[in-house]
Amino acid sequence: MSPREPLQVGRPEIRYDAAAKAAGTEPYAADLYPENLLWAGVVRAGVASGRLRSVETEAALAVPGVVRVLTAADVPGPNRHGIIHRDTPVLVDGRVRHAGDAVALVIAETHAALRQAIGRVRAEIEPLPAVFDPEAALGEDAPLVHEERPGNILLAAEIRKGAADQALAGCEVVVEGEFSTPMQAHIFLETENGVARLEGDGTVSMTVSSQSPFRDRFEVGAALDIPYDRIRIVAPSLGGGFGGKDGATVQCLLALAALHAGGRPVKMHWQREESMAAGYKRHPCRTRYRLGADRDGTLRALYCSLLYDTGAYAHLGGEVMELGMEHAGGPYRIPHVLIEGRCVYTNNPVAGAMRAFGVCQVAFAMESMLDQLAQRLGMDPLELRLRNTLVDGDVNCAGLPLTTSTGMVGCLEMLRDHPLWRERQAWKDGAPPHARRGVGLAAVFNAAGYGGKVRDAAIAKVELNPDGRIAIHNAVADMGQGNACGFVQMAGSILGQDADQLELRQPDTATAYPSGSASAGRTTYTFGNALIKACEELRQRLINRAGLLLFLDDDCDLRLVPGKVIHPPTDREVPLSRLAAFMPREDRVCISQFVAPVCRQVPDTATGFFIGFPHVIFAYGAHLARIEVDLRTGLIRIDDYVAATDGGAVLNPCLFDQQIQGGVAQGIGYALMEEVERREGCIQSESLATYLIPTAVDVPDILSCRLSGNEATGPFGLKGVGEVAMNGPLPAVANAVADACGIRLRRAPFTPERVLLALEEQA
Amino acid sequence: MSAVLTPARLDEALRLLAENPAALAMAGATDLLVRRRGAIPGHEPVLLSLAHVAELQGITEEAAFLAIGAATPFSRIIADPLVHRYAPLLVQAAQTIGGPAIRNMATLGGNICTASPAGDSLPPLYLLDARIELASPAGERALPIAAFILGPGRTALEQGELVTRILLPKAPRFPRERFIKTGRRKALAISVTSFAGRARLDQDGRIAEIRMAWGSVGPTVVRLPALETELVGAPVHAATVERVGLAVHQGVAPISDLRASAGYRRLVAANLATQFVEALGG
Repeated sequence: MSPREPLQVGRPEIRYDAAAKAAGTEPYAADLYPENLLWAGVVRAGVASGRLRSVETEAALAVPGVVRVLTAADVPGPNRHGIIHRDTPVLVDGRVRHAGDAVALVIAETHAALRQAIGRVRAEIEPLPAVFDPEAALGEDAPLVHEERPGNILLAAEIRKGAADQALAGCEVVVEGEFSTPMQAHIFLETENGVARLEGDGTVSMTVSSQSPFRDRFEVGAALDIPYDRIRIVAPSLGGGFGGKDGATVQCLLALAALHAGGRPVKMHWQREESMAAGYKRHPCRTRYRLGADRDGTLRALYCSLLYDTGAYAHLGGEVMELGMEHAGGPYRIPHVLIEGRCVYTNNPVAGAMRAFGVCQVAFAMESMLDQLAQRLGMDPLELRLRNTLVDGDVNCAGLPLTTSTGMVGCLEMLRDHPLWRERQAWKDGAPPHARRGVGLAAVFNAAGYGGKVRDAAIAKVELNPDGRIAIHNAVADMGQGNACGFVQMAGSILGQDADQLELRQPDTATAYPSGSASAGRTTYTFGNALIKACEELRQRLINRAGLLLFLDDDCDLRLVPGKVIHPPTDREVPLSRLAAFMPREDRVCISQFVAPVCRQVPDTATGFFIGFPHVIFAYGAHLARIEVDLRTGLIRIDDYVAATDGGAVLNPCLFDQQIQGGVAQGIGYALMEEVERREGCIQSESLATYLIPTAVDVPDILSCRLSGNEATGPFGLKGVGEVAMNGPLPAVANAVADACGIRLRRAPFTPERVLLALEEQA
Repeated sequence: MSAVLTPARLDEALRLLAENPAALAMAGATDLLVRRRGAIPGHEPVLLSLAHVAELQGITEEAAFLAIGAATPFSRIIADPLVHRYAPLLVQAAQTIGGPAIRNMATLGGNICTASPAGDSLPPLYLLDARIELASPAGERALPIAAFILGPGRTALEQGELVTRILLPKAPRFPRERFIKTGRRKALAISVTSFAGRARLDQDGRIAEIRMAWGSVGPTVVRLPALETELVGAPVHAATVERVGLAVHQGVAPISDLRASAGYRRLVAANLATQFVEALGG
């Protein structure tokens, strides 16, 4: 038998959950079918705007097997949930604001009875005028989605640095453009679901596919008036999240059902169509840009106006827009900047968090502007970017002096030296008849952490189990990105243990400690920092207690190796199981906390911001796409893709590359085909037959190049890289299409139809 | 939940259908079950699975034609040497249907009976002069594909009748045969426009015979017989190509839907045809 080797950071260690996931034994919330369960399901409004007059439940109650049909009258408490603005009814009690609004909740013995009963609930909704276009929503005569919100404005804000108007007027070269991006759906494999029950002591316990188990307690508790110590949330591995499970989906409804189920477990699992209708989406966005520069390509001034459509409720719309504004000027040095942002309510489905949270919308516009400018100046687009790229110590477009690692230049240099860039002309010349080839670039960045005024903190707990294994109480959900694997690797590295000796427990609010959501590129960063401290403390403690057992004068020659503490000078050892038997419970547990750094001197550039400004840590990426456009059909094929990324030091190169590749694949879908189609606020592309995401043959091999870096504040020097890669594909493909065919696409996604019509227009 | 009847022989299948006139016949069910997903429980029709009916499986060669069992899945059609020999155009089209998993389940008979304007096997079947063999307790009959498919989702199938085989007459091959499918992505996509073409040139390089068909640009497969006749004897040069483009543009009758506009479909239908004709010269 080969000697056991401890896990190490920096190595492509095999994911601890790989075997279970490959074998299908990893437990997801969706796998739970407890004995004696009831099914719960929602009756949706089906119309985008109206007033709920009545809900007829008799016919539904007559269906054999139906237990209850609940309406707003059955909701205890304020009946409103939301993360920052508590504006979303659990069950509508008056105003219907979008077609996916929940008007009744059915509980039944079987899924078949449930579906039948849902079809028999009659909601009488008096139609009211609706507004679906975000610009129309700003109009004076526009119907108000929320009566107390004049102009339908959720948030209007501004970033002003220098004097952009004056500076633009004096610029030697100015380029401009208007861009629009689609509503995108997350399309996780595991749709929103969970199981809840009312325990004998009055606690509502719930196992749910959630990115934010600790915050769920507040959302559920506030909506239904349940003290949050009477709510327990368990969040097993998620079958994908991408932001769509950050904030209550099934949680409040399930808790409500549990309160009316007589202690029986209740299961709710949205089908794909319901997930499309009622789940959160990416904010559609319209942007107007003007960018001014000197003739030598030095950027001087930027003006932009951003309009985000948050749909019927706030969710995190204001914060999404703020992050977009903070990134609107790209990773560049621009002295004069004016960024205006508005986030408006409409009667569209609710937009919320999604990977790259407001940033991919503006990256499209800004990176398109850079290429337009390069073309105007006759400059190489990569050299133009390098000339203006932010470096350590620069002030970014939001007015923040950069004090953390800034690897944008390094990423661009990796592309500049790459054969796919250097040999691009020969490749383009090889285009077959009826096709054109092009190469496009994008320089992107993405903030990590919650930003100012939102404490970004985590509390890690590690525990020596009685059997001598060490449990890591993960408190930030793992939606597949592998943060939990990273935690195992970190703990193994510090504690000298291999994977067999470690046990990873997924978040449970009863046994872990509040550590925020799995989001914002902060999951591994913030919890990892807390975990390092907890593991170091446990290491010292284990060594110390072993020294006690071995009657040693001091701890200096003791070492932790897999399964035991050893003392090489005397060739003695203490197995961890023996140590565990020796240590009382409270001695076997180490808890430590970490609070992420914030900006101490907040620049006075931003007005109207509520929370979440500014950010201090950013991941950077430079992307390259080589594409071929079929001139007969307008179909874009992406042949090659390179993403160079500055994510600080790399904890696990495999996990790192997977995050980049996943982000690029999702970004390719955003660029080429993904769009939630609506008519009168009702979703037309409600299934995966009509809402298309890329298949394996639509995504090329994605080469991930890792810039070797180090973020001083990061755990083992890392920065989060879950989001940054999402920002590159849309602008890189747009720039590649311009390079190939001379057409500038400003409306995403670039469906074959849009491409062909643009080609026709040009001809 | 639906009851599923699973006969093993054709006579049994016909008898069960006679006893359950409301039963829905299915083979791979890749279309039917998806469409039934949203149905309210309590009203499920009986399903008649033809997947295990021996007479409906496999490919056989007869003196005058190739016969493909209606419940033969596309993956088997793609792998079959006889189909490669006698109907390579059908192989090309079959390879574009769904993805590997769908092709393992979906059948040629199912694609025909669904009668979708976007059915990918249909344009080749029109060009191959396919005949649809039908059976009922009263006996057998066969119809040309164009007479069998009446409109979107509508066929000449009568109550109690099942499609048994697809008959492809053995005919001299065309040197140029091409099927092109345009969707919004490269696999698992419903056709936005599809094109099938067969052509041969004479010794002088003029068009001796040409046959073309388009999918997704009309209620059923679109043919332009007048254009085909007109092109006989035409040289393959720019003027001919232009003529084809114009005729197709005017000849197809697409609709706008979630996947694409009518204008786009028209444009692509013309582009695919002109490219086919253009390539005859190369």
